[in-house]
Amino acid sequence: MAKKALFTATTLATALVASATTVQAATLDDVKARGTLTCGVSTGLAGFSEKDANGNWSGLDVDVCRAVAAAVLGGADKVQYKPLTAKERFTALASGEIDMLSRNTTWTHTRDTSLGINFAGTNYYDGASFMIMKDLGVSSATELDGANACIQAGTSTELAIADYFRENGMSYKAVTFDTSDQTRQGFESGRCDFLTSDGSQLAALRIGLANPGNAIILPEVISKEPLGPVVRQGDDQWFNIVKWSLNAMIEAEEQGVTSMNAGDMMKNGNPANKRLLGAEGELGANLGLDAEWAYRIVTQVGNYAESFERNVGMGSPLKLERGLNASWRDGGILYAPAMR
Amino acid sequence: MKPSGPIDTFQPIADRPAPVQTVGPVAWMRENLFSGIGNSLVTLGIIAFLVYYIPPILDWAFFSANWSGTTEDACVKDGACWVFINAWSYQFFYGTYPLEEVWRINLMLVLLLIVIAMSFTLPKHYRMKASIAAWLALPLVGMAILYGGWGGLEVVSTDLWGGFTLNVFMAAASIIVAFPFSFLWALGRRSQMPFIRSVSVIFIEFFRGVPVLSLFFMGSVMLPLFFAEGTNVDKLIRVWLVLIFFMSGYMAEVFRGGFAAVPSGQYEAADSVGLSYWQKILLIILPQVIKISMPNILATFVMLFKNTTFLLIIGIPEVVQTLQTALANSYWLGGHALEGYLFVFLVFWASCFGMSVLSRRIERTLNTDKRD
Amino acid sequence: MFKQKTIEEAKASARRSSGNSSAAFYNNPNVRAIFYQILLVFGLGYFFYSIISNVLANMEATGIKTGFSFLGASAGYDVLMTLISFESTDTYGKIFIVGFLNTLLVSAIGIVFATILGFIFGVAAFSQNLLIRKAALVYVEIFRNIPLLLQVFFWYFAVLSALPGARQSLSLGEAIFLNVRGLYLPKMVGSDLFWVAEAALGLAIVGIFVLRRWAKTRQDETGQQFPVLNTSIAMVIGLPLLALIVTGFPFTMEYPALKGFNYFGGITVIPELMALAIALSVYTGAFIAEAVRAGVQAIPHGQTEAARSIGLKEKKIMQLIIVPQAMRVIVPLLNSEYQSLVKNSTLAAAIGYPDLFNVFVGTALNQTGQAIETIFMTIIVYFVVNMVISFLMNRFNNAVALVSR
Repeated sequence: MAKKALFTATTLATALVASATTVQAATLDDVKARGTLTCGVSTGLAGFSEKDANGNWSGLDVDVCRAVAAAVLGGADKVQYKPLTAKERFTALASGEIDMLSRNTTWTHTRDTSLGINFAGTNYYDGASFMIMKDLGVSSATELDGANACIQAGTSTELAIADYFRENGMSYKAVTFDTSDQTRQGFESGRCDFLTSDGSQLAALRIGLANPGNAIILPEVISKEPLGPVVRQGDDQWFNIVKWSLNAMIEAEEQGVTSMNAGDMMKNGNPANKRLLGAEGELGANLGLDAEWAYRIVTQVGNYAESFERNVGMGSPLKLERGLNASWRDGGILYAPAMR
Repeated sequence: MKPSGPIDTFQPIADRPAPVQTVGPVAWMRENLFSGIGNSLVTLGIIAFLVYYIPPILDWAFFSANWSGTTEDACVKDGACWVFINAWSYQFFYGTYPLEEVWRINLMLVLLLIVIAMSFTLPKHYRMKASIAAWLALPLVGMAILYGGWGGLEVVSTDLWGGFTLNVFMAAASIIVAFPFSFLWALGRRSQMPFIRSVSVIFIEFFRGVPVLSLFFMGSVMLPLFFAEGTNVDKLIRVWLVLIFFMSGYMAEVFRGGFAAVPSGQYEAADSVGLSYWQKILLIILPQVIKISMPNILATFVMLFKNTTFLLIIGIPEVVQTLQTALANSYWLGGHALEGYLFVFLVFWASCFGMSVLSRRIERTLNTDKRD
Repeated sequence: MFKQKTIEEAKASARRSSGNSSAAFYNNPNVRAIFYQILLVFGLGYFFYSIISNVLANMEATGIKTGFSFLGASAGYDVLMTLISFESTDTYGKIFIVGFLNTLLVSAIGIVFATILGFIFGVAAFSQNLLIRKAALVYVEIFRNIPLLLQVFFWYFAVLSALPGARQSLSLGEAIFLNVRGLYLPKMVGSDLFWVAEAALGLAIVGIFVLRRWAKTRQDETGQQFPVLNTSIAMVIGLPLLALIVTGFPFTMEYPALKGFNYFGGITVIPELMALAIALSVYTGAFIAEAVRAGVQAIPHGQTEAARSIGLKEKKIMQLIIVPQAMRVIVPLLNSEYQSLVKNSTLAAAIGYPDLFNVFVGTALNQTGQAIETIFMTIIVYFVVNMVISFLMNRFNNAVALVSR
């Protein structure tokens, strides 16, 4: 009896320790063997990765995880989400705890070159901006000399705002908060004059104010914050899969392929549609996947436009404009490399 | 001299009631509330404070609060929006543990209660042995049941665990596993072998001297680098590991106090009947140490339990983290922080206060034991 | 006592066994002790060796930078509150010092106020007034049993956030301002002769020590008491004041004033510091109150009765009989409470007070990604600070401990 208990315990311990063992070379094989994709997401960020009252994850970042799972495992729901703080995200990736990171991470030179990671593209072009109470009568960021700034800790905004104020010969005091909800509370209580964060977050924070009409978002965008999914260095096949899963969503929008019409397009679309959806060509095989990988992404997750509208666009409480994130055909800079 | 009249039988006069100043409610108030000018002022101040603040609080929390509904739109009245708590209550308690599997968490809670009850009610002659065995088995059984993956139980990976029950389980599992280790560390610190003693001292002082938050950070960002390349230990397990180390440092000091409190005659008597070192420690000393240390063990547990909220800072979905996730949800952005935190306040306060009352009761029982 | 005996026993049995050829050498306690310790040395050696080699291998594999060169690199971000001058172009090394000073500041404030609160509420548990007794009980039971993290949130987000905005500040005589951005105090800026007043203050402090010694000797010899406390207060206030009058008030006051968005000038106490210091004091104060209560309760009632019977006043009984004895119970508990206060000050991270943990393990780690270096540097600082506290409190404990006769 005791021996049996001990045996069960040991097996269990081994299972827990080694459940995701060896991530070294072939992440793809591990993911397939496990049957689920482990994806690092934010602990809670409106529109990007958020959990609802039933425990289901949704958001623009979450959709990238879902797209990869749909492509690799055949089901967008075969994702195990690991909520991570800003500080631990890269260690979690390096140690193999997660297969990919999709946690509104800004693509910077330092991160890309010194942390042993690769950015697999950009799923949201963001930029730090300012939100300010209307009654202060400020219309431009250049009038903010001597003001207090509410900032969320551990973001690249911290560096961007320091640069911006130094460049314009102005001074400020940075009040940092741990979570976005606290940042909002700090701003609302008057602890600081303005709140600075990525534009997408400002929109979410503004809705959370007791009276959103009292606050305005200033026109200045002080930094480039291209946010995108991240993978470990040294596994090029996996890097390609994540990169092209994201590109497939973008390309699908460019081609006008949606979750509604994908089945029809596969049969009756033009050659580009057919190539994307796997009816023609070798795109899937080159990635080490089957032919219908992109078809599953589009039908199960949707194209980029659908994902955007649902999570952060007009179909969501955030009501963000497409802006920079519109397809290049519509005046944005979203542009997938050629799918052929 | 002769008595001039007939001798009267003694007729006691009926007792006069005590002066109003010494008995009854008036006297009680004089004694306890208004003895002196300073005291009277303080009393009036406290009463005024209560009268001024309590009605609006009651109004917000009960009379104009919103009780029913499932979405934020249901909160129309001025008072508290308890709908928020209601909608998220499952996650606050169980995290994202699947609903159809939640009986496993409840089962573990029941098992925990049974083991606690066992350690007080079993017949005396095997109570100690049986309950120690049950306690030590509990974390293993708990892992097996909660994680699953055997006997037809579905695997529920640790990132789905969360909420208040995670706080309870993390605290309980850490202190139980730390128990035997801390016992060894305490023995090591009392040892005569210089190297063993200094290693124990360094270990104990290190884990008592550094902030638990930094240990959590070690668990979350540093430990992954410690394991061999390619090995990957679950985050919750890493933090658990760190908590076990932390707790064994603290508990070692509790036990050291216990060892010192056992009268030296007990050691000498055990030696004189020819018991070996381990027989002496395990059969004679340990039972007494555990009994003496009980209030301190409970106090340490309460501290640990409160400290599990710090897990929020490294993103473990314990109850405060779950609350913050809920506050960041784009359909609940209306600012229900007050209701949420108040709820967590109350839950923690009730559990910790309950445990401190329990600890005081145990202390009292122990005192009477000594008087026999 | 017990320890010495077992050492003797061990030695005796060692002698016995080495003299007795029938006992095997492995039953010799000395041999066993050496064997166990060698085992431990190898075990630990292997443990650390494998950890270090794993760390090196992992770092190489993932391409994470190592070493302390980042300490000389420019940090590039600003810190909310600094006790020494700091620019965002300064180095990570300087950020480390800034954070360390901020940690010391909040810990020192916390320790002072926690002690005051603790003693007030600890003694209040013995008050004649029922409401005061109950208030002391409610204070202890509420604040001891709620996680500190939640209390920090409470003071910061519920209490201090409710203060008025910068332009509607509460003010006291246009010199002290309180608003949601903090507490603004006027600052004394001394001119050339100001050192005279400072020297006078120093002189007064030295004078108090001399006075105390003299008063004690006099009391020992003649039994006459001297009002040391009142004289000391008079000296501390009077001497510098006298010096200021003589030198013709050689200082100007710098008052905070609203310019643009904020108040500038004077001394600013940021709300993060206030919230953290209040939370730490109130939380630790509840534990100290409990310790004080236990300490006073541990004194047998006979002590009070004996003191009364020789005619001491109630105040003197507390001061001369009860508290000195209770201190023996209280001081060791204070030691551990102070240490946990310092450790708990790391919760600054939750509200953004720039303490060592927040600026270093928080932001610096995030920007550089060098987990091992930053965490170890920080841990060592807390460890050393706690060792210092422990050392000082043990000295203090020896001073109050019962002198065994």
